[in-house]
Amino acid sequence: MNVNEVKKLALDIRIEALNMMSKHGFGHVGGSLSIADAIAVLYGEQMKYDPQNPKWEARDYLVLSKGHCGPALYSALAIKGFFPREELLTINEIGTRLPSHADKNLTPGIDMTTGSLGQGVSCALGMALALKIQGKDNMVYSIIGDGEAQEGQVWETLLIAPNKGVKNFIVMLDNNKQQLDDFVEKISPLGDVRKKAEDFGWHAVTVDGHDVEAINAAIEECKASDKPGFINLETVKGKGWPAKEGVNGNHALRGPAFEGVEEVLENMRKELAAMN
Amino acid sequence: MSYEMFDAKKLLGDTVYEVAKERNDIVLLSTDSAPRSGFTTFIEKMPEAYYELGIMEQAAIGVGAGMAVAGKVPVWCGPAPFCTARPFEFFKVDLGYMHQNMKVIGRNCGFNYADLGPTHYGLEDYGLVRMIPDVVILAPQDASELKGAIKAMLDYVGPVYLRLSTAKLPKIFEEKPFEIGKGNLIEDGEDVTILTTGEITVNTLAAVELLKAKGVSVRVVGLPTISPIDTDIIVESAKKTGRLVTVEEHFTVGGLGTIVEEITAENCPVKVKKIGVPFTYISAGPYDDMIQYCGLDPESICNSVMEFLK
Repeated sequence: MNVNEVKKLALDIRIEALNMMSKHGFGHVGGSLSIADAIAVLYGEQMKYDPQNPKWEARDYLVLSKGHCGPALYSALAIKGFFPREELLTINEIGTRLPSHADKNLTPGIDMTTGSLGQGVSCALGMALALKIQGKDNMVYSIIGDGEAQEGQVWETLLIAPNKGVKNFIVMLDNNKQQLDDFVEKISPLGDVRKKAEDFGWHAVTVDGHDVEAINAAIEECKASDKPGFINLETVKGKGWPAKEGVNGNHALRGPAFEGVEEVLENMRKELAAMN
Repeated sequence: MSYEMFDAKKLLGDTVYEVAKERNDIVLLSTDSAPRSGFTTFIEKMPEAYYELGIMEQAAIGVGAGMAVAGKVPVWCGPAPFCTARPFEFFKVDLGYMHQNMKVIGRNCGFNYADLGPTHYGLEDYGLVRMIPDVVILAPQDASELKGAIKAMLDYVGPVYLRLSTAKLPKIFEEKPFEIGKGNLIEDGEDVTILTTGEITVNTLAAVELLKAKGVSVRVVGLPTISPIDTDIIVESAKKTGRLVTVEEHFTVGGLGTIVEEITAENCPVKVKKIGVPFTYISAGPYDDMIQYCGLDPESICNSVMEFLK
């Protein structure tokens, strides 16, 4: 893996996502920033895709079960050429192809509509199962949130998947410790979620969710296993915007809450330029 | 009138199997529900296309939608409330909005689960699913229509909900290709039109015989497709007979009665008498008693129509 390129992609995703959300004046900043590194590893190293042919049969699939973090995914898709970068600024405008939550019907490169928590990961299992029984080796990835894991539907999927032999399936948990109302630990603690997944029959690993090399290694390890993979990404909500990291109220920002974003973006752009 | 009777679930399972064995895209999903839905032959002959997921109706629709994205046509059957009300939001997002090619069959509709009580009745199933745009809803009225409806459902590309009620299904009509969205003129008449759907139609037709014996000229329209509903035949009936009666084993609130009122109010306002399940909770009991309580037995239907025509 070209580590510098993937790190650049992660930073670029953060810049584009923050830029589009702040220009629009609303967006799920915290989670979009916490998954940027995982998205960068997927689109910068692991996944097979063709931006000119989004429905390419040999593609790998990503289902963003935490669909509210669409801006991070849209940024990756735009950077990789699925649509022009300028289009990112149309988010949530009338007629846009980029609603705040991921939408299969609208956006090139999105294979599943998500936004209702718990729903996407079960759809991802179905994709993996259908690909497996057709003898295909396409990978299916799904990113879920730690708050999302309070949904019963997530556990329905976690319980059944290992019994269906879907080794082409990797679930990544964005364990950023926060949800809309408060810290997950205060509301409904997940406990040792890696161990829980392992007990359910997954090949389960925990990694630093902001270390692209560690994420990549975890994916490789899961792919080598004969079980579906579960990667617990230890992340920080709002990662990359120091004033918003790990603080209450960073789930979604609106209007004045974006104060200071221009300075953050300027610093990020300088950092990106220095990496070239 | 006596009809040849069929095991409804066996007819369902065997018909799906007959179609599936000629194709390579149909898969059967089960939530602890397929063997008892009449699919034993399918499971025995096509084990590679059968997926037992366990009791997880929410994720089951997601799994089906995901399989549809990858080119499969999932068929899933279970008790109606667990296939409609429980995973309703995923029915909307996964099947409706994304228009995924999955087929959901709600069985034991109406009061069929008599002794299991209100948790198991299917009295609001098509009323709910009807609120999701672009989902085809089928409620076949007899064995012939069930066979035709299953074939049409599997040929159609998109989400379909099929309603199945009784254990024993009469063969009332001759077999013919099922046309989605088309109502059938079963009998023509002048005084009143009775619009009927689903398997309660056998009682409707018995009531029609009683009405004819009393000298009433009855027009009878079967509506085995609830959505998209055949608006034309409803409006035509309203214009022809002035008065309409609907018969269904479903809440009249949100059911066929409501649909017919919506259509006539806009197109041809007429009096509508809705015969069906009253909007309340009805506890467990023998099936025939509950049908009678709701006025859905032939004599009660006949009496309601006579009262309406006064």
